[in-house]
Amino acid sequence: MSTQTATPPPRFGPAIPRKRSKKRIGGWRWAGRGILAFLLLFTALPMAWMIITSLKSQLAALQYPPQWWPEEVTFQNYIQLLSPNNEVGQEFLQYFWNSFYVSILSTILGVAVAVPAAYAFSRFRFPGRQFLFFSVLLRNMFPAVVFLMPLFLLMKWLGLVNTHGSLILTYLTFGLPLSIWLLKGFYDNIPVQLEQAARIDGATRFQAFFYIVMPLSSPGIIATGIYAFIMAWNEYVYALTFMNSKDKLTLPVGLQRFFAEYATNWPGLMAASFIMSVPVVVLFLVLQKYFVRALTEGAVKS
Amino acid sequence: MTSLLDRGGVGLRPHRRKFLNRSVAARTVAALLATTMITGSTASFAANVDLSKWSPEYIKSIAGTAEVDTAADCAKVVPRDYKGRLTYWWVGPTQAQPEIDHKMNAEFWAAWKEAYPNIETDAQNLDYNDMLNKVRTAALGNAAPMVAKFPILWGVEFAAKGQLQELKPEDVGYETSDFWPGAMKSVTYEGKTYGIPTNNETMAFIWNAKIFADAGLDPEKPPATWDDVVKYSKQIKDKLGVNGYGLVARQNAGNTPFRYMPQLWSYGGGVLDETSDTPAYKTVELNNAGSKAALQAAYDMYVRDKSVPASALTNTQNENQNPFIAGQLAMMIAHPAEYAKMVDLASKATGADKEKADAVVANMRYGLLPSGPARRAVVFGGSNVHIFAPELVDGGLDEKAAKAFVCFSTGPEWSTKLAWVGSNPGHLDGFTTKWMKERLDTIKFLDVTTSMLPSGIPFPVIPEQAELMNIIVPDMLQNALTGKMTVDQAADDAAKKVQDLLDGM
Repeated sequence: MSTQTATPPPRFGPAIPRKRSKKRIGGWRWAGRGILAFLLLFTALPMAWMIITSLKSQLAALQYPPQWWPEEVTFQNYIQLLSPNNEVGQEFLQYFWNSFYVSILSTILGVAVAVPAAYAFSRFRFPGRQFLFFSVLLRNMFPAVVFLMPLFLLMKWLGLVNTHGSLILTYLTFGLPLSIWLLKGFYDNIPVQLEQAARIDGATRFQAFFYIVMPLSSPGIIATGIYAFIMAWNEYVYALTFMNSKDKLTLPVGLQRFFAEYATNWPGLMAASFIMSVPVVVLFLVLQKYFVRALTEGAVKS
Repeated sequence: MTSLLDRGGVGLRPHRRKFLNRSVAARTVAALLATTMITGSTASFAANVDLSKWSPEYIKSIAGTAEVDTAADCAKVVPRDYKGRLTYWWVGPTQAQPEIDHKMNAEFWAAWKEAYPNIETDAQNLDYNDMLNKVRTAALGNAAPMVAKFPILWGVEFAAKGQLQELKPEDVGYETSDFWPGAMKSVTYEGKTYGIPTNNETMAFIWNAKIFADAGLDPEKPPATWDDVVKYSKQIKDKLGVNGYGLVARQNAGNTPFRYMPQLWSYGGGVLDETSDTPAYKTVELNNAGSKAALQAAYDMYVRDKSVPASALTNTQNENQNPFIAGQLAMMIAHPAEYAKMVDLASKATGADKEKADAVVANMRYGLLPSGPARRAVVFGGSNVHIFAPELVDGGLDEKAAKAFVCFSTGPEWSTKLAWVGSNPGHLDGFTTKWMKERLDTIKFLDVTTSMLPSGIPFPVIPEQAELMNIIVPDMLQNALTGKMTVDQAADDAAKKVQDLLDGM
């Protein structure tokens, strides 16, 4: 008896199965870490290689086996690209500004149109609502190149070929459907009672929307803006087709200036690509908490 | 078929200055000259150049013997005070090209502005990989430029669609006989001429002398025949473990036919009858004995000997450059621009890079492409300038401005200068200019590529040529090299595909 009282019964069953269970969990955890480390390398290595190559001379970039770290580190590619005193720098900075200008305007206009549209789809009930809501996605169900010729003809008819207006309009047609869908999800999760309370307190519908709904939906608006900006920033096919003048080209098209039929200036291309990625990375880092919140909003309902 | 270099011929009086007029006697004599690429009735010479004497020594002897005044010559076509507007698209220099290309390009535009100060010019320098699709879209949307300079065989597609205006050398003050007959063939579709050659280019054979020496081969002698290439490639691989020949067999890449077709033609093969003096492009030759022999040689190198890069099936020429520079590849077909680029890089290299670059250049050798049982052959490349049909031009066609520009850019001076490192002048009189002499003195690789010109064979001048050369030929190679089909089966399969394509199936 005394022996029995001195040994308390196990709380979670026999010891041996418990040890086995611990081992299994540890193995999975390490496997998970391994996969994560692999994914990290998979995503980070190309970026690292891009930066390393951008610090090489053209000859060093052609070495095989490759120089894992340049024997002669040079910043010449960056200096050339960012200096307004040489032709390459002037062109690159012009492309950079064009991309920035087009992307920012596309983003602002896209958000300005998507916010009221998504709000309308969320709050109002009107004939054909479901049909209209799904039909905005129609544009995104086809590859972008399918619309190249029709949009080119439309822009020609509007007199917009070789103007940034043609790109901004085109990017809106891509970005709006996604923006509207994303924002509608946000508005659906904002209790309508908040607006009703505001209306009872004397606010107009617009005031309720502007002062109550808009601040609450700011993560979604920011996430939508990031989407629209990245899409416009990276777009290539339409920019190539619609723009004819060198001073109006955008960065993705400008990067082609590092390729020739029989040669590629890899260090220059990598330096330009790195500079091109900076605004997107900075934007993402600054606003990432909103971005993550936007993606997870509504995932769990209280 | 024999090459110009093998033929005798009646020489013409050299260094006779001409523009817009020619002697009847010269035309008569020229008409007697038959060349590898000539199309029957076309004359085969310019007044100052005797193609029957074509050789590196001859080219050197005529270089620098004539003076040219481009602006004055073109003023006879369009007055220099003409006021108008021009839109022009072309594949111009990029950041990947040597400094000299940029310098010549800048000089060209300055000279054009000085010659025709009242022609407002909007020129767009496009990337090689993107230009074709951009122009296709623009032409369909009636937004084409007035003038465009295309790589040699793009024009036929637009001509077949009726999107180009007829344009022959006589329209801008030159004569058809001022240009290589093979080049004129590339701008002729259904008997009509739709453009003017700006530059003509051929590739050459390039090898690493050190690898040759280490493998027990004569470092100064390239393989004389394609059979030798197979043999050398195996010897190098067996002795040194590095790849011998830089075979490329990637699908849907222009690099593949540009490197494989010379081999195929040399063995007596062809896709159609493009190697004949008067091709009709109706007969399929992709499964004849010569075509199969060439395919067998590629098979022997890749499968039997494993003496070429294992990645050849996905390689373009770009993938050959790094191993060649690093001494891991012994031989390849190269464009003059590749050699020029290496020299340019070596001149800019510093520190440890400088030593490596100098070693690479010191070990580089270049020579004629190997010959085969039937001939020595190379793809006749280059570019042509075209004028779009007026109804397709954005803002309407200013024909005089367009012709002034075509005259200015295709004359002896600028067809030489704008092709400085990578090519040869389209206008044959360009070979007599002082600029040609300067090029020959400074770019040794040119000796070889100019010598290859008479062996140049253009791809079939039919709208289907891109499908033939970029899809069917590489597919044939891949089918044989991967063992999916035997050599015979792969050749027969490709021939059937060509026939089906021609039949509109």
